[in-house]
Amino acid sequence: MNRKKGDKGFESPRPYKLTHQVVCINNINFQRKSVVGYVELTIFPTVANLNRIKLNSKQCRIYRVRVNDLEAAFIYNDPTLEVCHHESKQRNLNYFSNAYAAAVSAVDPDAGNGELCIKVPSELWKHVDELKVLKVHINFSLDQPKGGLHFVVPNIEGSMAERGAHVFSCGYQNSTRFWFPCVDSYSELCTWKLEYTVDAAMVAVSNGDLVETIYTHDMRKKTFHYMLTIPTAASNISLAIGPFEILVDPYMHEVTHFCLPQLLPLLKHTTSYLHEVFEFYEEILTCRYPYSCFKTVFVDEAYVEVAAYASMSIFSTNLLHSAMIIDETPLTRRCLAQALAQQFFGCFISRMSWSDEWVLKGISGYIYGLWMKKTFGVNEYRHWIKKELDQIVVYELKTGGVLLHPIFGGGKEKDNPASHLHFSIKHPHTLSWEYYTMFQCKAHLVMRLIENRISMEFMLQVFNKLLSLASTASSQKFQSHMWSQMLVSTSGFLKSISNVSGKDIQPLIKQWVDQSSVVKFYGSFAFNRKRNVLELEIKQDYTSPGTQKYVGPLKVTVQELDGSFNHTLQIEENSLKHDIPCHSKSRRNKKKKIPLMNGEEVDMDLSAMDADSPLLWIRIDPDMSVLRKVEFEQADFMWQYQLRYERDVVAQEESILALEKFPTPASRLALTDILEQEQCFYRVRMQACFCLAKIANSMVSTWTGPPAMKSLFTRMFCCKSCPNIVKTNNFMNFQSYFLQKTMPVAMALLRDVHNLCPKEVLTFILDLIKYNDNRKNKFSDNYYRAELIDALANSVTPAVSVNNEVRTLDNLNPDVRLILEEITRFLNMEKLLPSYRHTITVSCLKAIRVLQKNGHVPSDPTLFKSYAEYGHFVDIRIAALEAVVDYTKVDRSYEELQWLLNMVQNDPVPYVRHKILNMLTRNPPFTKNMESPLCNEALVDQLWKLMNSGTSHDWRLRCGAVDLYYTLFGLSRPSCLPLPELGLVLNLKEKKAVLNPTIIPESVANNQEPVNNSNNHGQLTGFQSTEEDHLVKEAATGISVHQAGVKRKADMPLGSPLEPGQILEKNEDSKVKLKIRFSNSQEEEEIDMDTVHDSQAFIYHHLNMLERPSTPGKEQSSLELNMLPVLAAPLSAFSKESNSSKHSDHHHHHHHEHKKKKKKHKHKHKHKHKHDSKEKEKDPFTFSNSPASGRSIRSPSLSD
Amino acid sequence: MVVHICTGLGAHKNIYSAQGWEKNRGNLADRRSGGKHSTTPADNYYLARRRTLQVVVSSLLTEAGFESAEKAAVETLTEMLQSYVSEIGRSAKSYCEHTARTQPTLSDIVVTLVEMGFNVDTLPAYAKRSQRMVITAPPVTNQPVTPKALTAGQNKPHPSHIPSHFPEFPDPHTYIKTPTYREPVSDYQILREKAASQRRDVERALTRFMAKTGETQSLFKDDVSTFPLIAARPFTIPYLTALLPSELEMQQMEETDSSEQDDQTDTENLPLHMSTDDSGAEKENASVLQQNSSLSGSRNGEESLIDNPYLRPVKKPKIRRKK
Repeated sequence: MNRKKGDKGFESPRPYKLTHQVVCINNINFQRKSVVGYVELTIFPTVANLNRIKLNSKQCRIYRVRVNDLEAAFIYNDPTLEVCHHESKQRNLNYFSNAYAAAVSAVDPDAGNGELCIKVPSELWKHVDELKVLKVHINFSLDQPKGGLHFVVPNIEGSMAERGAHVFSCGYQNSTRFWFPCVDSYSELCTWKLEYTVDAAMVAVSNGDLVETIYTHDMRKKTFHYMLTIPTAASNISLAIGPFEILVDPYMHEVTHFCLPQLLPLLKHTTSYLHEVFEFYEEILTCRYPYSCFKTVFVDEAYVEVAAYASMSIFSTNLLHSAMIIDETPLTRRCLAQALAQQFFGCFISRMSWSDEWVLKGISGYIYGLWMKKTFGVNEYRHWIKKELDQIVVYELKTGGVLLHPIFGGGKEKDNPASHLHFSIKHPHTLSWEYYTMFQCKAHLVMRLIENRISMEFMLQVFNKLLSLASTASSQKFQSHMWSQMLVSTSGFLKSISNVSGKDIQPLIKQWVDQSSVVKFYGSFAFNRKRNVLELEIKQDYTSPGTQKYVGPLKVTVQELDGSFNHTLQIEENSLKHDIPCHSKSRRNKKKKIPLMNGEEVDMDLSAMDADSPLLWIRIDPDMSVLRKVEFEQADFMWQYQLRYERDVVAQEESILALEKFPTPASRLALTDILEQEQCFYRVRMQACFCLAKIANSMVSTWTGPPAMKSLFTRMFCCKSCPNIVKTNNFMNFQSYFLQKTMPVAMALLRDVHNLCPKEVLTFILDLIKYNDNRKNKFSDNYYRAELIDALANSVTPAVSVNNEVRTLDNLNPDVRLILEEITRFLNMEKLLPSYRHTITVSCLKAIRVLQKNGHVPSDPTLFKSYAEYGHFVDIRIAALEAVVDYTKVDRSYEELQWLLNMVQNDPVPYVRHKILNMLTRNPPFTKNMESPLCNEALVDQLWKLMNSGTSHDWRLRCGAVDLYYTLFGLSRPSCLPLPELGLVLNLKEKKAVLNPTIIPESVANNQEPVNNSNNHGQLTGFQSTEEDHLVKEAATGISVHQAGVKRKADMPLGSPLEPGQILEKNEDSKVKLKIRFSNSQEEEEIDMDTVHDSQAFIYHHLNMLERPSTPGKEQSSLELNMLPVLAAPLSAFSKESNSSKHSDHHHHHHHEHKKKKKKHKHKHKHKHKHDSKEKEKDPFTFSNSPASGRSIRSPSLSD
Repeated sequence: MVVHICTGLGAHKNIYSAQGWEKNRGNLADRRSGGKHSTTPADNYYLARRRTLQVVVSSLLTEAGFESAEKAAVETLTEMLQSYVSEIGRSAKSYCEHTARTQPTLSDIVVTLVEMGFNVDTLPAYAKRSQRMVITAPPVTNQPVTPKALTAGQNKPHPSHIPSHFPEFPDPHTYIKTPTYREPVSDYQILREKAASQRRDVERALTRFMAKTGETQSLFKDDVSTFPLIAARPFTIPYLTALLPSELEMQQMEETDSSEQDDQTDTENLPLHMSTDDSGAEKENASVLQQNSSLSGSRNGEESLIDNPYLRPVKKPKIRRKK
């Protein structure tokens, strides 16, 4: 029953198997932004009585469905369009999240569900019973798609090709259903035939091999025929059409690059590196690139920077750059490498279920890391690992944990793994984007931990094994049932690790994969001179959210006078103290070189250290082999030694961070030395700049000499004869380039005793700007100039304002006047000579906002709003929007908030919409515990609407809206709303926030769905006629929300969280209901409650009540609490039984009836209570319902 | 730095004046009639010749029996005679050069006269007529030296392979380049200052102009002129301006490419921190890069041979088979 546990074979959640799909798009209209086409799916039933086929499809208008050339009835119902129905007064996020998760479940292909339900014509039943092939032919069209396919149509003269109009598929996770009907699952593989008829001036790029291109008869269009013979999931199918320029890779002719007109030179330069990435991956994986070709397409307004699909990747056009650009080059190369890593793991090898996603993300992230190590060096790699580790640690400590391998089902609701989160982690589509980013980050870090355990060699062997199994499978025919070998599962992956390496990594998996959270160590030490022993104390915090207890080995490196020594401590439950014997006595008199970890021997000035101790520095877990945060205490001189002499960049960065707390001349010296040392990793030096600035500020009263870094900068970058003039730019040495960029920014953070930026520093920066001369430079200086503006912004301190005078030109601070002068000039020059990616405009906008915020310039969002308009480069827009978001917060402007939210709904660029919500969440105008005039009922309603129905076309956006709602109002009912009925309940909910129960039973039900479906075969005779009616209406009016809501009733029970036995019953119920519905739905929205009452809503209701025994407080008021024991008992018995009785239909029925009776009984009970507690109960009552049943909640008390 | 002084104009002028000698004379005559203020040696020379011609005309008139003539008539006749003689000279020179000689011979003159419609046979008889008057030969004056605007140095003598009748080399100043050196180091600062402030002034003036002539935005509500910001205008295709290098940058890139970073001619400018190996390595990289690009370039040439489905020709539609 639990397919995740099945070790070998993959059990499809569907009663059929898809083998081949044809997608044919015969018309694309850029003017109207519409698409017309058909799909044809070849499926093999796997059970005899298959009568309904569920497919995924969103926002497509479906004209006609034929199965083996016979017209077939179908229902199109998408509960995610409107998650909670409008009549609901519920405004708390808990309720929404549950409802949303249930809605997504109800159409989740991994559970065998779908939005589109096709009835197999009765003529074919016999055919089906013989398990013969079915061809499902669906004609569909898309009109102005809001998600899934993105049209970019510049508004200028000329034909579409001349205008550079293009369209491409996009989305987050499996989003293919947005543009054609399919089984939108990563686990349903099939071969593909793709045909696109486009304007003759355009190119259609899609997956697989381009077999041929043929003109249409009028010669004005051409058809691109693609064949993809490697079984591929629909979710990995993509498309890009536009007047692309074509570049065949000069090194690998099977690789083709595409970009928008005029960008070809940039494309040539940008992709000239790609072949090296190919070579690298093929070499380490000892496996050829699995597809016969590869295509990269660079598009405008991309959804994400990198999107990988089978044999092609779609990139943002903003990654393109010329040879003059330094900063973008490594970033773009990283994107290319990431995309390519995902070709192997993610596209070619797909996943069995969502809970196996971490394996794919982990492996692709891990091999990408190996590429980084090879390309950018070990320092960069370690720096990156540390950065990722820090990120995940911060995130987990903040939110309470990221779980890589969530296991659902089993009925243990208490173990709901995501109870600390405000969203369900059961589906990719309910995840917060930030969480998903962190998820990927953790996945590759865990892969690295596995590598640490089993060695890289074995690791690569495992990957190779996965790939070779998959490629063998991919060349097989469908009939061999080998295709599931191309899917990776957690258990399969772990098995091959243990086969290859012979090592048991179960504890590691348990700790980091099956469990969320990170480890938090506190370390301190004492040196015992008598025993010559280092007494190390390591404490753990495992009670705060996001932390867990670590038990196991922990490496500690101790640098002593006689050398560096590694010790492996066993961290156990109760042992906090660890005695580590020291190797050397404290004999400093002998002038002797000190050996370091890497074998190097260096001279050190040991005068700073403690005379009695031989310890130079100590590092805990130097290899980052635990996902942890370490707070270690050691003396300042030890940190200084560590900074100067430890060769590991991570250690250096750690010590820089620690030295911030020791503002002494010695720290200053250590940092300055590092800054000057050319052998030192440039990122460490950059970090040292900022630390030095902080130290200087702390030491301001005792600081001697010129401002920090000034003389250093002068020495490194200024002319010898005239030290105030910077040399003409020469960025050939990238290390010094980065340093040159960073130092002024850090210097501008210096403050004098009055907490102002020293005049000397400001003049210095202004001079840098003045004398900046790039004429002889091979590289562009746009990033450098942008950072100089950032430096100017950093130098700004709050204006001294006398009794809140209005900011005018007359009282402008003279320094600020100079700064403004520069900003104005830069910003204006950008209009005439724009810089690459408009970096300078971006910095100027940020600087202006800083000036506004510090009270030098009147606070005004008008300028930013004009830069935020559609039509500016996306970086500019984001910078401007960030300023508006900040303004909204500082000035508490309702108007701007409305303006922003309006843009979230209407902006043409999905990325911008997403980003606004993201920025609002990070820098919220108010938070849940804050009084704010902005927080009012209208806003609550507006946001609720946004996440409930306004963002149904974009998963990422909807989750962004949920995040914002959470930040603003928290999990419970927003405080600004009147609290009519629910004071009591609220309290209970708060308590309950720990347990989020509603999800678990559903997965059981969902998994069983296919079985139910097949069982239903004969029972649906009544169904058809209703559907026919429906069909007519559907064709006539398209899919309005209203109708979807109506239809949903029919479908609801199918996807709702019920035990198998009940589902049967409910289907019948729904039939009844549908009929009722159709008789009067045209006149009235409301259903005749009396009719429905008995048949569905109520039963439904109480079923839910029954099924959630472990979450008592949540849905019941205190009055009901006493009922709990009664409720819980039968259920536990029942659920056990239902598991065992899975195969027995009869049993089910029996069971169900039994249960139903009970429910009715209970219902009466409840009813009584309700009358007792009057209004108070309304909400808990509604809440208790399965969210998917949101419509059917209307119990009598609610419909009053 | 190297200063090239090259005025092609000078050389040109010389040629012009050699050819346009006659014309010059005419001009001079005009000028003289305009006023006699200037009596340069050249003027005197021409005046003497003119006077001789006038005497000739007068004597011819006397011969023909005139007792007196108006000055204007004499002048006109003189002019005609001068033209006639000049034309004979010019034409004769042409004939002589036509036959690749430099000195006209008698036959050249004869042909010229014939060409001009003059019956040569009558000439000996006319020359020997009895009543002809003999006039004195014009005073021997040296041909005036054409004043040289700038005589800098000696004209280069012809090399042996150039016949001596070819025109002389132009004055040396017209083609010689004179290397000049930058002012000593103390000036570097001033130059940089100058360059910086000049650029800043230009930028400021330009942006102010743009701001004045177009829409602006302002940070201060009460004042729109002190810090005028050119209004933000959305683009129809924003990524093009954002990604493509500007023309200025392209130009710069070409320049720096060709001069290979120019080795930073002033030593002052050499980055101090950069060890020589470093720059060497970078150079190597750069050259490798170039090689690469040339490699790819040559590969591009072969592109026609590459079999890539996107490069294949689009097929014509087949005759539709019945579905």
